[in-house]
Amino acid sequence: MEKGLKLTDILVTIIIALIFGVIYKLWGPLYGVVATLGLHLEQLIYGMWFIAAVVAYLIIRKPGVALLAEIAAAQGEFIFGGEWGVATLIFGIGQGLAAELIFAAFRYKRYDMLIASLAGVAAAVASIGIDFYYGYIGDLALWNLLILFGTRIAGAILISGIFAHLLVQALEKTGVTNLVRPATKEDYQALG
Amino acid sequence: MAMDFSYKETWLHKINPSLKLLIMVLLFIHLLMIHNTNILINYMIGMLALYLFFTGHPWKRLLVISIPFLLIFLTSSTSMIFFGKGEITWAKWGLVHITEESFFRGLHLGFRGISFAILGIVFALTTRPVYLFYSLMQQFKLKPKYAYSFMAAIRLIPLMIEEMQTLHYALQVRGVQGERGVNGFYRKIKSYSIPLLSQSIRRAYRIAVAMEAKRFSNHGNRTYFYRLGFSKFDVIFLCYLLVIIPLSYVTATHFPYFSITDVRFGS
Amino acid sequence: MTTIASMTNMRLKFPGVESLLFEDFSLSFEKGEKVLILGPSGSGKSTLLQVLTGLIPSAVAVPMKADALTIPESWGFLFQDPDAQFCMPYVDEEIAFVLENLQIPREEMEQYIDHYLHQVGLRFDDNHTKIQTLSGGMKQRLAIASVLALEPELLCLDEPTAMLDPEGTKLVWDTIKNVGNDKTVVIVEHKIEQVVDFVDRVILLDENGTIIADGPKQQVFDQYKHVLIEQGIWYPGVWEDYMQDKSRHIPQSVNTEDAKPAVHLSDFSAFRGKVKALQVEEARAHPGEWVTILGENGAGKSTLLLAMMNLLKTTGTYKIFEQDYKRIKHLAEYVSFVFQNPEFQFVTNSVYEEIAFSLHLAKWEQEKIARRVDEMLKLYYLEDYRHTHPYQLSMGQKRRLSVAASIVKEQPIILLDEPTFGQDAKNTFAILEQLEQLRAQGTTIIMVTHDLNIVKNFATKVWRMEDGELVMESPAPNDIETLQPAVIS
Repeated sequence: MEKGLKLTDILVTIIIALIFGVIYKLWGPLYGVVATLGLHLEQLIYGMWFIAAVVAYLIIRKPGVALLAEIAAAQGEFIFGGEWGVATLIFGIGQGLAAELIFAAFRYKRYDMLIASLAGVAAAVASIGIDFYYGYIGDLALWNLLILFGTRIAGAILISGIFAHLLVQALEKTGVTNLVRPATKEDYQALG
Repeated sequence: MAMDFSYKETWLHKINPSLKLLIMVLLFIHLLMIHNTNILINYMIGMLALYLFFTGHPWKRLLVISIPFLLIFLTSSTSMIFFGKGEITWAKWGLVHITEESFFRGLHLGFRGISFAILGIVFALTTRPVYLFYSLMQQFKLKPKYAYSFMAAIRLIPLMIEEMQTLHYALQVRGVQGERGVNGFYRKIKSYSIPLLSQSIRRAYRIAVAMEAKRFSNHGNRTYFYRLGFSKFDVIFLCYLLVIIPLSYVTATHFPYFSITDVRFGS
Repeated sequence: MTTIASMTNMRLKFPGVESLLFEDFSLSFEKGEKVLILGPSGSGKSTLLQVLTGLIPSAVAVPMKADALTIPESWGFLFQDPDAQFCMPYVDEEIAFVLENLQIPREEMEQYIDHYLHQVGLRFDDNHTKIQTLSGGMKQRLAIASVLALEPELLCLDEPTAMLDPEGTKLVWDTIKNVGNDKTVVIVEHKIEQVVDFVDRVILLDENGTIIADGPKQQVFDQYKHVLIEQGIWYPGVWEDYMQDKSRHIPQSVNTEDAKPAVHLSDFSAFRGKVKALQVEEARAHPGEWVTILGENGAGKSTLLLAMMNLLKTTGTYKIFEQDYKRIKHLAEYVSFVFQNPEFQFVTNSVYEEIAFSLHLAKWEQEKIARRVDEMLKLYYLEDYRHTHPYQLSMGQKRRLSVAASIVKEQPIILLDEPTFGQDAKNTFAILEQLEQLRAQGTTIIMVTHDLNIVKNFATKVWRMEDGELVMESPAPNDIETLQPAVIS
């Protein structure tokens, strides 16, 4: 067995990521409209920006996929002219790393809804960390900051945890995921 | 295809893409360290000039693209203006508490957001992805298997958008649009995403196999169809920045718009 | 003779599938041979090509073992899907990709690119042309050009024309014959009309991946014709055999003098965005008529169907049973639509639910739904798959399901966009027979196709499209030759 990601893994990860990159791009204006209200309702849909990492990992189930997917999606949003420019890339790297760490902590052995949600939460925490520098969020009134925390994390669980998992489950039923799932030892043993 | 925009090539297009990206990242970091709105506004004007005069895209398109900028300004500033910390109260309605500090901090965030947006869009409008990835392979030693995967995947996006139109018709015929409620919404999302995702995954998989069938391998000593080096345009770009950035500091000191020079709380 | 590629006792298993696809499978190819591999879907034909070239297991991680494997030093592989072979957006960049892989110096690349494009008969004013603007046939020839850049001894072709129209098919095979003459060529294909002259050896597989026959083509064709028919191979003369076997009469033009038209278009136009994409002066289709829409790629055939389904902006008169379509609340009660790609129409997780879907929407009673769906499952040979996910079906089953699910409410008008596209002979005939049954009961069938045999043997009427305009409405000719010049030219 070759170590690392094969070309098929990489290309499939990147196409999934770019699809979400397009969605990320479209998500920007939507987020903008909701955000002008100022009450952090927009944070509930912020979780969409973590979904590429989770979905790609749940499909391909290999180390490195989550990080690659999130960077690729951010890169996609960036080259499609996303409103946040280079900031997207920095957030992408941070969020991807955070999600990857969660999957690594469970040794890439778990693919359930809980792990997806945890990865979403980790990505949310990472994004909040970057926002301290980027958005001066430390200078928000405390109650407001707490709402931001709460809603962003809730949104992460909802979208990049639960929804991502349901989406991949639906995709599994179509059989297409078998293309990229690695063969097991049993499969090799069956050859005799 | 709608994504096929024609444009005039300008000197911004001829800058080495890796260098352009690197500078964008450095500018980003630098921008994060500017807390003086006066400097930021001048800085922004300098970047805006690039966007308006040197991307080589027609005016009408530039105008349409810049509509979301306003939105960016609002999204980046409103929460801070309404709910940011500050001591000199301007207005207070219930939870909303606008202070002088929060107002300027919000304003600052808005301008910062627009600056990032301009930088990003300038990059996007003047950089062909294929050149970017060729350059990343040559200047930053990005592994070919990542670079070519990106290029192959980007090629698939317009294809996917076309399919989306067909899919939209097909679902309309099946009556999926008509369903209401949470179930209907979930089904709608699923009926768009599952066919598109599965089709794209299959296609990406096949392309990867086809690439390997064409003896694609990961060793670094490829002979590149496009050689991307450095030219006088890189120097022009650097010079532009080396003039604009100090200039924005100088004018900010001598002709300030506002009296506040650091928008952070407690500074 | 020298052996160029071979395998001895090859065993192969797909992950998650119980049984082995190949078990102790041996095969070898001599230098210069032109071999055709035939077999039903699932027999592992494509997989075999991938083992032969070493793509399995190097690129595709499928568990495989063999006592001995000979893989040729240089080989080229042409795949089925024109949109899934290229990794670069422009013609010159795509061939350059291969040249880069072979480490050809950059200065020589332009010259090589011209050379290989010339070999496959592609000429551009500027080689920096977007691949997306090419037709399917041109894309496949570009794929051949980039394969040629590998200077292969062995050429593996995996149904390279399955997704092309007749014109593209012919051009691609002409090119292959041209460039493949001095090479060893192994072909997997089920549309074999164009290939038969070219090959000298035929290998016939069954659905378990076992070799039924392997020998000179004439011998195999003579002895195993029944297997070819059984497997749905498009061998030359398959239509004649089919028509003779069924001894069915060709439907005559229906007498429509006094009948009310099911569809009546008059001064009818459709728009894509602001651009006028369709113009129909006058056209009628009556109950019991089978209309085929003919025309070149881009002539507006699909646009006409979309417009009739009210999916585009239209102006002019469009009457359904003498009623203005705008007055009809639910057009879908009268008209059903079968899209070219069945997968896009699937919205549920099982075959049963898929057929039941529109009935649920129409608020039928559970019992009535169950009865109707069972009836359809039987009629469309899908009984054994009622719980299967639609995506997991074979190409033919998917197509049958998409038809069944579309027409389940027995709408009097059916619009179909190339329903037999990419189908094997068996499935094509199955679909056509089902449509013929509906037609005989009075349904109006309006169908886009490139297959002139369908026009000749099933249609009663032809609408010909040119440049977005319906230019001719005529009874379907019984003589296929009269159609040919207008369509192929």
